[in-house]
Amino acid sequence: MNRRRRGAVIFESAMWIPIMVLLLMGMVELGRVTYTYYSLHKMLYTIARLVGTGSGTNFCSDQNTVQDTISFALNGGNVDGQTIIQSLQANQIAVRVERYEAATGELAVCECSVTGCDTEAGGRPPDYVVVSIPDGYPMRLAIPGLNLDPIPLRPQVRVPYGGT
Amino acid sequence: MLVILVPVFFGFMGFAVDLGRLYMIRAELKSAASSMALAAANQLIGTDAAQGAATTASQTARSSAGGFQLRYDFGGTAVGETNGNLGSVVEEPQFYETAEAASGVEGAGGAEATGTGPMRHVRVSVTADAPTVFFRFLQQGQEGRVPIRVQAAAGVSAPLCVACGIEALAVAALDAGDPDNFGFAASTRYTLGYSCTGAQQPQPLAGAAQRLAYVLLNRLNEAATTFADEGTQTLRIGAGGLPGSTVEARSCVNVNAMETVWAAAAPLQCNQNRVAAQITSLLCGFATRLENGTYSGCENVAEVDTVVQAYQADTDVADVEDYLAYTGNGRRVITIAIVDQITDTTAMAVLGFRQFLIEPGANLTNISPLDNNGRFNSLYIGSQMPLKQGRISGCTVTAGPGKVVLHQ
Repeated sequence: MNRRRRGAVIFESAMWIPIMVLLLMGMVELGRVTYTYYSLHKMLYTIARLVGTGSGTNFCSDQNTVQDTISFALNGGNVDGQTIIQSLQANQIAVRVERYEAATGELAVCECSVTGCDTEAGGRPPDYVVVSIPDGYPMRLAIPGLNLDPIPLRPQVRVPYGGT
Repeated sequence: MLVILVPVFFGFMGFAVDLGRLYMIRAELKSAASSMALAAANQLIGTDAAQGAATTASQTARSSAGGFQLRYDFGGTAVGETNGNLGSVVEEPQFYETAEAASGVEGAGGAEATGTGPMRHVRVSVTADAPTVFFRFLQQGQEGRVPIRVQAAAGVSAPLCVACGIEALAVAALDAGDPDNFGFAASTRYTLGYSCTGAQQPQPLAGAAQRLAYVLLNRLNEAATTFADEGTQTLRIGAGGLPGSTVEARSCVNVNAMETVWAAAAPLQCNQNRVAAQITSLLCGFATRLENGTYSGCENVAEVDTVVQAYQADTDVADVEDYLAYTGNGRRVITIAIVDQITDTTAMAVLGFRQFLIEPGANLTNISPLDNNGRFNSLYIGSQMPLKQGRISGCTVTAGPGKVVLHQ
């Protein structure tokens, strides 16, 4: 190999390496987004199933099993306050209860009233539980040289209520 | 060298990025299918109309309401809808008699069971296209999409040992040695009448040949701040079963447990020809299952209007001879405890749970809650309807109502 060929290879490599590194970083970040979204989705599904199969769950009060379940899901039972997903707060997760309206055949949000889903006040339990992150979990991509806005991840799940 | 490496690189990136995305989409589809299967299984109450209701429910579960919907691909595409060149198809739910068939264990995929018995299990299959980015550069993935298929099976569980949210009545078994029906005859109309003591036992109501004496099990919630009145509490039990509670003993009944009668509603002498006010309000609660609003004559029950407005009548309130022909939503089905005997009302051993369909009185559209002996007609249906909640472990019953569970 003569000097000129070797020089060309070095130049070619020098041109490609930053692109390759960027591509690699992008892949890692994409993997991180996928993983985070998957974890969030799984977490919301678990919350929905837990509150949706409990007994005496009151969806209309702050001091109740719903909040406890969300807190439990956030840290997976760790008491030291370390959350599974970084800086995810309990108040970012919203639980919405729905009632099937036989007249219209549609789902409507179940109000906190006697005719709605306030079981404490004598209402019936809901028919569906929806758990979501309304404002999205902001996911910041760490790619050097690029300053991107955080991507909001908005997973949502709906499961039928199966408790008393 | 680069010429060789580029396809290899894209291949690796394809595996890293696209495969991760495919797995994630599969997980999202799986939870969507599970939701739909659970919603459908909730409707499998053992009637001919149940399958139609279950199909509707599985569609309702993925319908859009308030911006919420079952979605996949980072929440970007609704399940069952087409987005660009990516399509997703939710197949009609398929119904099976056994959990094995629904899970596809039996044979190749499990042949669809048709018509012979009541369907207790449902399978929902979803096929959706997942978009690919890097696989596009390889030969196999040039269309830019890969179909993913998931299925979920749900159905009625094994018989429950702890039944929650049931109607806390107790009836003595006609034959404690009969594990299937405790001596009750299927599709037979019985008059349920409140237990009383003495020789002059009340007659069954018109339309029924036999009167079964029942008692109300003691589920008095003395700690209640809302609905503290005993009559209101029994009204709620009648209207919607035992209210949910974080204290299991309040909202559930256990097999093999020793139960006592609701203290204030202890059986009276038959010749007094009356029942405790708590039993009248219990029947006023039952009346909400056949008719909206407060039953005329039940106004004396404390807070009756508040409780009653939460409940709606069954969608089928007709007198039915055959449970299969019942088209309602299960409001009229009551689940009661079967005990060994109710002659000794201080301790009754629970043998299991069975279900009855409340029937309107002869030539009436509702039961008569003000009946002097607490009587109403009902059809014995065995254990058809899944219960709201309960636990499976802790006893050895071989038959009885189950709850809705996810098999797969």
